[in-house]
Parts: sequence; structure tokens; C-alpha cells
Amino acid sequence: MAPTPDPNSVGGGARKDEASVKVPSKDPKKKDDKKEDDLSEEDLELKQNLELYVERVQDPNPDLQRAALESMRQEIRASTSSMTSVPKPLKFLRPHYGTLKAFHQTMPASDLKKCLSDILSVLALTMSAEGQRESLSYRLIGTEGDIGSWGHEYVRNLAGEIAQEYTKRQSEEAPIDDLMELVQQIVAFHMKHNAETEAVDLLMDVEDLDLLLEHVDKTNFKRTCNYLTSAAKYLPGPDDMLVLDISYMIYMKFEEYPNALQIALFLDNTQYVKQVFTSCADLLRKKQFCYMIARHGITFELDDEMVADEDDREALQDIVNNTKLSEGYLTLARDIEVMEAKTPEDIYKAHLLDGRASSGASVDSARQNLAATFVNAFVNAGFGQDKLMTVPSDSTTGSSGNWLFKNKEHGKISAAASLGMIQLWDVEAGLAQLDKYFHSNDNPILSGALLGVGIVNSGIKSDCDPALALLGDYVDKEDSSVRIGAIMGLGIAYAGSQNDQIRSKLSPILNDAKAPLDVIAFASLSLGMIYVGSCNEVAAQSIIFALMDRSEAELGDALTRFLPLGLGLLYLGKQESVEATAEVSKTFNEKIRKYCDMTLLSCAYAGTGNVLKVQDLLAQCGEHLEKGDIHQGPAVLGLAMVAMSEELGIDMEIRSLERMLQYGEQNIRRAVPLALGLLCISNPKVTVMDTLSRLSHDTDSEVAMAAIISLGLIGAGTNNARLAGMLRNLSSYYYKDASLLFCVRIAQGLVHMGKGLLTLTPFHSERFLLSPTALAGIVTLLHACLDMKPIILGKYHYVLYFLVLAMQPRMMLTVDKDLKPLSVPVRVGQAVDVVGQAGRPKTITGFQTHSTPVLLAAGERAELATDKYIPLSPILEGFIILEENPDYREE
Amino acid sequence: EPLTYDISRRPSNSVEEEPKRNKNKLVSLPSLQAIKQEASQFKMLTVSVKWQKKVFEGIEIDVSLPPYVFKAQLYDLTGVPPERQKIMVKGGLLKDDADWSSIGVKDGQKLMMMGTADEVVKAPEKAIVFAEDLPEEEQATNLGYSAGLVNLGNTCYMNSTVQCLKSVPELKSALSNYSLAGRSNDVDQTSHMLTVATRELFGDLDRSVNAVSPTQFWMVLRKKFPQFSQLQNGMHMQQDAEECWTQLLYTLSQSLKAPTSSEDSDAVKALFGVNLRSRVHCQESGEESSETESVYSLKCHISHEVNHLHEGLKHGLKGELEKTSPALGRTAVYLKESLIDSLPRYLTVQFVRFFWKRETNQKAKILRKVDYPLELDIYDLCSEELRKKLEAPRQKLRDEEGKKLGLQTKSSSKDGDVKMTDAEAPSNESGESSTAAQQEGASSSEKGTHMTGIYDLVSVLTHKGRSADSGHYVAWVKQESGKWIQYDDSYPSVQREEDITKLSGGGDWHMAYIIMYKARFVSM
Repeated sequence: MAPTPDPNSVGGGARKDEASVKVPSKDPKKKDDKKEDDLSEEDLELKQNLELYVERVQDPNPDLQRAALESMRQEIRASTSSMTSVPKPLKFLRPHYGTLKAFHQTMPASDLKKCLSDILSVLALTMSAEGQRESLSYRLIGTEGDIGSWGHEYVRNLAGEIAQEYTKRQSEEAPIDDLMELVQQIVAFHMKHNAETEAVDLLMDVEDLDLLLEHVDKTNFKRTCNYLTSAAKYLPGPDDMLVLDISYMIYMKFEEYPNALQIALFLDNTQYVKQVFTSCADLLRKKQFCYMIARHGITFELDDEMVADEDDREALQDIVNNTKLSEGYLTLARDIEVMEAKTPEDIYKAHLLDGRASSGASVDSARQNLAATFVNAFVNAGFGQDKLMTVPSDSTTGSSGNWLFKNKEHGKISAAASLGMIQLWDVEAGLAQLDKYFHSNDNPILSGALLGVGIVNSGIKSDCDPALALLGDYVDKEDSSVRIGAIMGLGIAYAGSQNDQIRSKLSPILNDAKAPLDVIAFASLSLGMIYVGSCNEVAAQSIIFALMDRSEAELGDALTRFLPLGLGLLYLGKQESVEATAEVSKTFNEKIRKYCDMTLLSCAYAGTGNVLKVQDLLAQCGEHLEKGDIHQGPAVLGLAMVAMSEELGIDMEIRSLERMLQYGEQNIRRAVPLALGLLCISNPKVTVMDTLSRLSHDTDSEVAMAAIISLGLIGAGTNNARLAGMLRNLSSYYYKDASLLFCVRIAQGLVHMGKGLLTLTPFHSERFLLSPTALAGIVTLLHACLDMKPIILGKYHYVLYFLVLAMQPRMMLTVDKDLKPLSVPVRVGQAVDVVGQAGRPKTITGFQTHSTPVLLAAGERAELATDKYIPLSPILEGFIILEENPDYREE
Repeated sequence: EPLTYDISRRPSNSVEEEPKRNKNKLVSLPSLQAIKQEASQFKMLTVSVKWQKKVFEGIEIDVSLPPYVFKAQLYDLTGVPPERQKIMVKGGLLKDDADWSSIGVKDGQKLMMMGTADEVVKAPEKAIVFAEDLPEEEQATNLGYSAGLVNLGNTCYMNSTVQCLKSVPELKSALSNYSLAGRSNDVDQTSHMLTVATRELFGDLDRSVNAVSPTQFWMVLRKKFPQFSQLQNGMHMQQDAEECWTQLLYTLSQSLKAPTSSEDSDAVKALFGVNLRSRVHCQESGEESSETESVYSLKCHISHEVNHLHEGLKHGLKGELEKTSPALGRTAVYLKESLIDSLPRYLTVQFVRFFWKRETNQKAKILRKVDYPLELDIYDLCSEELRKKLEAPRQKLRDEEGKKLGLQTKSSSKDGDVKMTDAEAPSNESGESSTAAQQEGASSSEKGTHMTGIYDLVSVLTHKGRSADSGHYVAWVKQESGKWIQYDDSYPSVQREEDITKLSGGGDWHMAYIIMYKARFVSM
């Protein structure tokens, strides 16, 4: 919205001599009387002249009228062109506004009347009563001359009045052609004068953004698009889509393909993505696009239209398939010198604790060994080596076989699968390592191997589809744990792929009356992941039927929550597309109905920042329920999911969660730490850290456990020393409580995840894009944490591995045109919001210079510190291809 | 290279009737295209197989033969036996007996193979026992220490005494042998009850994971020793731990005496008793006499000169007493100098930190810092005879330690030493069995092990506060695992060994009041 001009605000650009002039206020008479004497000779003369013109305008002689109007116009123009305060001519003419208006009415239609209309239009700038829009109405009957000649302030005021008039006319269904003509002029004027934001505001008000396309040029399109995309976050649907659409078109028009691709990915519009490829001819640039798609984690097939040459296409598809991710990650690890494998003890650092260290009991504790398995897996994730699972089996200190068997029963599932985590993204090596478990006749080990195959393939695609080939046959085996291993493995490996072949394997399980509940629950989850955000009807049907078939007793089981969650994931971020399914869910058994409703709502509006949905969910949390209802947990998580998309929303949400801690019921308090964990995932804000630290000592152990896991989540992959210290102290505080200690260990593993090279945040590309698979993984874990005892502390602890979907290196790795790592200096600093700022403002502050590859923390941004190369993407994250700058001169 | 390799390795039976053999053998890379053509003519497919990090290019498949043959080809290349090979083709696994035409492998396609010749993992032969599987009492032992004791209201003096005494396994076993039947007539009812209560309490502590409430024991203790029932403001008063320790040990020693009531079978005395031989000398008259006595603990007197336990002990073994001198016919000052005549398995030392201050009518506390070592050698406090007996075992111990440190003593001198000890051994043995038998009683079963005069610290009872009847008592006990555990009433916690020696006083921190050393034996 263009601000209505405020006559009381005096800009700094005012001329010196004007400083003495008081701006007209509400009681002009009194002041005018006083000032009469203060006027300088010059001003007095001007005033007298203007009074003379006013008189002459009313003269019956048209020549005199014309001359007077002309003079008046010149006086006004001369003073308004670069004015921010109220110009003197306007001020001196104020007392005569009424006179002129009255005279204008008596005038017959003529050129002169039009001229007077123009002048009255300008005078109305300060005189018009609120809501009268006189400036606009006089303008419309005026000469339609150059709008800018009356000055910037006039144009802004006019724009404001147009917006009001437009709404009025829309409601009356009156024609708007005359308005649109004015809009054209105003937009053209704004776009030429560095006021892109105002132009966009006006066009949004009159709902005609397409006009922008005509007016953007090389100098202003970036600022325009920047404003458009950031405004989109605050617009209600479907306006936001429209806005992004326009900015996509603008970017395409100016061949700013990386940005266009970003928006295409945001819109989840494959057609647009394709168009980016077909429009760009440069192969190297296309490679950069592939890196961007790969980071977003969607499945995308290149065709011959996009890349003609078969070899090129193969090379590009390889990048989209993320086959180079492991290599890049290890390059980063070698550069930072963290290749050395770490043991859980290196993470626990028990020697730093006074006295009450863990006693190092003589007998293995299965629970603590399981915790060590997870810590080892998370910490060494993707490094391909560790000290428990991959040590050569002949070593005397404890072979891989040995550690595996130091886990009890279902613990062996997680232990075997941890090998997949250690080999993350390196499919060939991972499969080679996991092979030996395939021949085990111990079902948990086999199950773990299957899950491990899924994990190692997370985010990686391959023509051979090794995960499907290996896991497919196990989905229907006898043993439940083997089935779950295969099902979960498929879910992780093919998240977001919408692979029909797998659906045809999983759907029958969901509707198999004989299948055990846990198998069905995991099948639903995996289906939800594979079709995440697809709104696939067939998949939804299968889950809905599965939900309807559950008996009363089964609906009370903790694992049943995965069924609605699987359903919700199908609609992740797809807003109103969920409505039909939400309607169906109203027919469910009342035990699960509300839970399902909340889950669907929160998933569908995840990452949208939709304020209305936040209010809906808050209302749900405000109720005080009788015992047994569990739907408030997902409602609290939903609050975080909806609000997590932008900083402002996050801050507001954190505040309202604090309230809930104070006034909410116990089941709400248990979910609040998890919601905080989601809001600040891999971003340890000090205030949130303190809140969680306080909750980690809560008398309700469920709250404490949730808070401890969340401490791990907010610090995931940061190596944050303060968090590490807090958790270490917690490990000594809870050394006697096996369950809480387990949670502390998991959190310690998370904080040191990937030895500090990884992040869990589902947002990337400067927090603009939200990876649906990543969010799906985190949300699944959080839902599991709503009831810790039967799931994570029970025998389904391997749901922790769903986090792998969100694990990504938080790196910036520059490569040359052959995609080989290339080290260049970069500045890394806190990102600055530059939306709506004129000129070329600094984008980072408090920076340090490093050479690539570098780590980027939450809220940090990088920029190249050399002119020798040009990055092929303006968003310096992940893999960046550098092109040599042809204009570069060595100094 | 793989190209020619493949062709030559192809199973011979399949190629015999094909006339192109010879030509193919000579093929070089440029004619790859030609081969491919031929291959397709004869229903041959050329594929590449990715295995681990390697890619095998140009492997030919004869589609007329089952995939098992293809697997055999791969076996040659990778060394992975066919049954362990998993070949992935478009989301499916290649079956040994599948039909190539139905699989739909295309010429030039990339296949992926998984499989290793690695050994299949096997469960360890000995199943691993997890703490969670054990019954509760065993879980307790697996913590590496036993449970704490609940404070029943100023009972920390008792709790810490019990914890210290409980760390003596021999006492425990002696108690477990104690039964009603074994009750000798000269043991009164309350002593008997206290002994049983002690036995029960020790048992409870071993079985439990959580803190044990010593209600029964406390009741019996107060019954036996009414002085512990003193009330102050309606609360039971804090008591002196040393008194509790001494009284308890005394009671146990009475009741644990074997029914045969021979003096030798006093188990408690055998464990804790120190025989002192004292020379009482009167400077005025020149009279001299010697006497022996048996005590349960040595006293460490703290004066201005005492900075170390050793000095305090020496100080404690010297004393002046007034008694009637028969020669002078009046009381005279006698000097009493004691030396240790026999060594206990457990040497208890009491720091005499409390004295009665008349001005305040209170037991006041000496805060002076007195260091004590983790390893105590009392050789020079021993009598001449005892020293002689200790010579050989000590030498042996030194040798063993030297060996442990890797110090090579000259083989000749070593031989000599061994001979010497050998020669001395019989006499020693007989000497010990005669003198030690009566003192050590229970330990006579452990023939072949000898005292060395060297002791290791095993428990410390500390006091924190300014007077004996106030403040707080805590026990610090070394476990069999070598870990130190602080028993602060119901909270046991692991401590570092270096912190144990810091309990030596000189401030307001916990300071050692009663410490107990365990004898180090050497087997000969």
C-alpha cells in the first residue's frame, strides 16, 4: 500500500530556506495570521502573485484565465518536482482551494476547465478531506498530461486514492478503464524512479500484476522480483502464487534462470522447471540447475527436450540424482580435517564431569549400547568410517560383528542400519558393507540391513534402483521386523519419488486384514513419504481404508498415529487440496478423528505461515480436555509447522508457546518442547536453548525427555559448545534414569551430527525453499516423540533414522567447469535483509573471509571475495559452479 | 583390456559353433563397434557392470544361456561367488534361471551388482549378557557398587560406619556363618540381635539398587547402646561415629566368637586386632617392664609437629602414664613405648581430632591437615621379631613390582635372592604358623600368603563440621573394581582416587576421621 502523504513529515531534502517555514497544521488560520509578518519579501511576492492568479482565473476573459492557470501551474511544478515537504505555492493556495473548487463547478467543459482540474488535483493533495479522493477525481477529468511533472509525492498520493477507488468500484462492479490508464502511467513513473516497491504495491491493489512485465528493465527487475518474492510470504492464497508467477516470468524474461528455477521449485511446478532447462542453452548453467534441484531433493527426470545430447543428459541426470553428494561432502570433511572417526565416548566427554561420571559398569547395558549405536551413526554419518561398525573384523578390540551383537534383539536392527548411516550417500560402498548382513539368519540383523540400504540411498537416485531391487521382495516376508525394515527402507530411499511400483507393493499391506498393526503403520508412513505433497488420491484411499479398518483397541495403540500422519504427508504444504480428505476424516472413529484432523491441517499448511490456520490450531490448544484425548499434541506441532517458514512468524510462535507452557494441559506441555525444536531446528537460538534447558529438568519426565531431544534438534550438526556442556551436565544429572539418559545420549549425538558438518533444517536457498522430504522426516520423528515410551524408548527406536531425510551438508563448495573442487576466497557473514532497499546494499554483515569449501551456519550467507570468477547461481549454497570472469584483470 | 578378457573367458561350450571366434580374439579397441554389431547378431548383449567403486565395461551376455552363466563371468571378475551376487536390473534382482528376453536388458545398459566375498556375520559363541536382563540384585552388583542408606534423622554417623565396615568381605562372610545355633551362651540377647541386624543390613545393601532404610538395625543399636538414643529438641542427636564403630565392632567380636570359645577363633579380632608390645619404663626408678595388649585401631595423635599420618601414629604409640612404682613406693611417670607385634588384615586408624574443651563443654575438633597415603608402610612401627618375618615377603613384593615396571634385575643376583628366601622360607613358615596362628585365626587357611607390612587404603570415614556431635559423616569406600564410591547417606557416587587423599583436613571440607587399610599379601 502506498502510504497516504503525511503533510507533517518533513523530508531531509528540504531546501534550507524552507526550514523556517512551518508546515500547515490542522488550524492553519491561526498560524497563517502569525506568520504573515514573518514572510520574506520573496515569499510575500509569491503569495501576492498566486493570489492574483486565483483572482484572474475567475476572470471571464479566457485569455487571462489561461495565462493565470499557466502561471499557477508553472509555479507549482517548479516547486514540486523534487519536494518532500509541502511546497510553498501549495501552501499559499490553500486558502483559495474552496474558491477555485466552486469556480470549477461553474465552468463549462473546456481545455481551461481541464487545466484547472489538474491544479485542483494537485491542491487536493493537501486539502482533500479523508476518503474524498478529490485528487483522483480531478485528475480523471484533467488533461491527462505527464503525471510525473507534479512530483513524486503527488503520484504516491494518487496511487493511494486509486487503490481505494478500485476497491469501491469493484464492489459496485463499475468500469475501471480510466483508473487502469492512470495506473499505467503511475507504474511507469515508479519503475523509472527506483520506486519498484510502490509500483508493485499499486498493482497488487488493483490486481493487475501482469502490467509489471511491460515496465521492468535490466536495472530494476532484481529489486522488483526480490520484493515480490518476499511479499509472497505475507500474502494470502492464491495471491502469493500469482505474485511468484509474475516474478518467475520476470526472471525468465531477463534470463536470470537460477532465480526462476528457485521459484519454479517453490511453486512445485515441473512445467516451469522444464521451461528453465529448455530456455537456457548453456550446458554449464544447466549443471548448476541440476545441483539446485538435487539440493531440493525432488525426483526429476531430464528428457531430450531439456538436454539434447545423450551423454550430457546422463551427466546432468547424475547430478540431479545426487550421486556426487558423498564426494563433495568428503571433500569438505578433508578440507576441514575431520575425517578421523569419533567414538561415542569422544562425544560424551565423561572425563569433564566431576565425580558422578558414568560408572562404566562391568556388564553391557543394552539401552546404553543402543544409545551409543545411534550416537556413533549420527556422528560419523556419511564419513564411511567409524570405530564400532566398520572396523576390520579381525581386530582384537572389538570387531564390527561384536558391536552388532552388543545390541539386544530389536537393538540389532538399529545397529545394522547404522552402517547405512555411516556410509550415507555412498551407495556402492554402503551396499558392499551391508551385504554381509543379508546372509544372516537373525531376523533383526536382516531387518537392519534392509533399513540400512534405504538409509544409504536417502536422497540418491539411480537407474538401477538398487533399493527397490534389494528390498522389494522382503516387504511380504513372514517376520514383522523384516517387513518393517524393508518398508521403512523403501520409504526413506524413495521419499518424494512417487514411484508407482512401490505403491503397488505397499497398498495391499495397508488393506491386509491379517497384517500386524506395526507393519501397517510403517507402510502408511512410507507411502506418505514416497508421495509426499503429491495429493495422490490412490495412496490416500489406501491409508483411509486402513484407518477405517482399525479396531477400537488398535486405535488406542501409540503406533496408530502413523496412519493419519502418512495421510497428512500426502498433502504436505498443499493447503486447500487437503479439504476433500479432511472431510472424509470426519467419518473416522472418534478416537482418531481429531488427531487425524489436526495432523491433516498442520501438514497441509506446513511452511505456509497461514495466520488463520495458526489461530485455528491455537484455539484447539486452548481447550481443556478430559483425559484420553491426544489430538492437542499434533496441534502444537502443527503450530510450529505452519509458522516455521519465516523469522517473524517463528518469533511470534515462540512467544505463544511460552504461554502454552504456563496455561496448557500436560499433553500440551509435552508437545511444546518439540514444537520449539522444530521452529529452531539446527539453529540454536539462545532464548530457546534456555527455555528447553529449563524444561529438561521438568518434574514431568515426558516433558523433560521431549526437551532433551529438542535440545539435540536445535543444535543438530552445530557442535554448539554451550549445548554440548548442557547435555553433558544432564547426562550426569540423569545418570540413574536409563530412559532420560538415553534421550540425553541421542541429543548429544544429534548436536555432533556429522561432526558438525550437517544440518537438519528443511529450508535452503536462503530459507526460501522448503524441502518436502526433509520436513516429512522431521515431522515423523516429532510425532513419534509425542509418545516416547512405546516408540523411541520401546522397540521402534529406529524411527530416529527418519531424520536422515533432512540431513544435508551445510556447506558451500565451489567447483570449476569440470565440476572439480576449486578453492576461492569467500566472505561469510550474517545475512542482511535487503528487500525494498534502494541501490546495492550490503547483503552480509560481520563477515570473515575464508576459502572454499566453507561451512555456513544458520542465518549466514556467503559472497565471493574475488572478481576472478562468476558464480553461476546467485544463491551461494551447496555446490556452486564458477565460471572465469572474462573481464578480470590481475592486479 | 576387459574387452579381450571377456571374450577369451567366455564359456567354451557356448562359442564352439560360432565361426567368429578367431577373429574376435585378435580384436583391438577400435573395432568395438564391429563386435557390438556381431554381438547383437548372435543375440549377444554388451553391458557394463558397476560393482563397488569399479565399473566393468563391455561384458557380453549370451542371451541364450541362463543368467547363471553371466554370474559365473562376474565371479571371474570380482571373486564374488554367484550365490552371493545380487544384480540389480531396473528395480529388480536378476534370478539365476530367468529368461533374458523377459528381463528386458538392453545393449549397453548399466547394471549394478551388490555382493562381497566377506564372511557372513555370526553371533558370538558366548551370548552377551545385558544388565537389563539381570535380576535386580545382580543389576546392583553391576553398578559396581552397592546401595546407599537412608538417613533416619541424624544417623549419618551410623550409615557411614556401616558402609565402611561392609566393605570388609571377610566380616560379611563371618556374619553369614553366624546363625542362631551358633549363639553361645555368654552372648546377651541384644548383642545377638544387633549381630543379626548387621547381617541382614549387609545383605539388603547387596541386594538392593535403591537406598536401603536401616530401621531395624538402628532400633537394635539403640537398644544395645542407649547412649545413641539421646534426644535434643525431640530429635535424635548426632553421635560420634568412632563410638559407634568401636561399640559395633566390640559387639560383633563378642558374638562372632566361635562357640568353642577358644580365644583364637575370634573372627573380628583376627581381622582388625593389632597386638602391641609395649615397654613401660620409669626414668626415675629405672624400672622396666613389658606388656602386651590387643587393640582394634591405632590412634593418630595430632599435635603441632604432626603433618603426616606416619608421624601421628608414632606419636600415638608413645605415651606417658602415671602409676604406682613399687620401687619408689609412690606414683611416678612411666614412659610407654609400643611396637606392633602382629599385623591385622585390616588396619584401622583413628585420627584423634576431637577433644573435650572444658571452656565450651563441647567436643572440639582439630582441623589440622594430616596427610595420609593411599599406600601405607608400617614396617618401622613393628617390633624386631615382626620385622624379621616381614623381610622376605617384602623382598618378594619388591621383585614383583620391579618386574611389573619392567626393571630387569641381574639374573645372578635374582637367583641368589631366590635361594636366600628359599632357605629362609621353612623357618619363616613355621615361625608364622606358631605366632600368627593364634593371632590371625581365620587367615590360617590362606597358607602361602604372607603379610608385607604394606597396606592399601580401602575406606575413609570423614566428618564435616566443627564438632563431633554435629556436622555430617560420609563414607568413602573403595570397591573391588578399584573405583571409589562416596556414600553420602542414600546417594552413592563415583569419585576419583586423587580426590580421596584430599580429605586430609585443613579446612571445612570433609576430613578423614577413621580410615581403614587392607593388608597387601604376597604369595610365596
